[in-house]
Amino acid sequence: MSAAGSLVDAVRSAVGEGSVSVVPGFGPVSVEVPAASWTTALQAARDAGATYADFLTAWDELEAGLVVVAHISTPDAADHVLLRTRVPSDDPVLATSIGIYRGLAWHERETHDLFGVRFSGHEPLEPLLVAPSLGLHPLRKDVVLASRAARPWPGEKEPGAESAPARRGGRRRTAPLGVPDGWVQEDA
Amino acid sequence: MSTSDGVPVRSRGVISLVEKNCTVCMLCARECPDWCIHIEGHTVTHPADEVHRRPRTENVLDRFAIDFSLCLYCGICIEVCPFDALHWSPEHSYAGAAIGELTQERDRLAGWEATAPAPADRDA
Repeated sequence: MSAAGSLVDAVRSAVGEGSVSVVPGFGPVSVEVPAASWTTALQAARDAGATYADFLTAWDELEAGLVVVAHISTPDAADHVLLRTRVPSDDPVLATSIGIYRGLAWHERETHDLFGVRFSGHEPLEPLLVAPSLGLHPLRKDVVLASRAARPWPGEKEPGAESAPARRGGRRRTAPLGVPDGWVQEDA
Repeated sequence: MSTSDGVPVRSRGVISLVEKNCTVCMLCARECPDWCIHIEGHTVTHPADEVHRRPRTENVLDRFAIDFSLCLYCGICIEVCPFDALHWSPEHSYAGAAIGELTQERDRLAGWEATAPAPADRDA
């Protein structure tokens, strides 16, 4: 932890004390910065010696938007920090980091595929993992895993039953998690 | 502590099964995030006798298989099992040449139970 303060302090003084929130965790410290200060924070970390960008990804917090996170480290891994920012889910645009860390280009393409975050200044964001014809970003929480409704669920059987329960009348079928009501077809 | 081939004994190598502890309750199969546990069973009814005044039903396990091509080694099945029928074993050499060979049936899962370490002493 001794050195961890230096990257955090560099980001804090570059972005401004009031708009940075530091989140302690079990691993490296997370520093949340406003989306407008994203590249400022990355540049400050790089200038403070963290020249290695380990990864960049995101996660979906539903109404609270999408959180984009980057793990930035010194080359000897003596000091590292998780920088994160928040973009709205309906229009997730963030300035690209590839001018600062060229190696994050792959990660930005992946994050665009999986979460739909657009990185301005990084065009075109070539599809990497997801065919654009799919028309959705699979790691968004509002995406229904359609195969879960189509495939038989191993947990559907009742204890001791040799096969899935008959679907006429009686109890409602147990449905797998993540499948909305009405997606699993009830037999007549 | 490590095994003879140098793997720490508490490694998440494979999930082993204590067949006699399984009541076919389906909790592990339902909680599994990627649907890799397949269980089949049936119910037998024991008639009333002098000791048991009412007929009893018992679930009997017919098949217990884990598809390690899907398993993400999260350990949720081990956590949810109410009867400690599942344990981590450090055994790790069960690769296969085809994807279907990664589905391990109950006899192999039960065989790995001998390599599962005893629980840590909670008072230590």
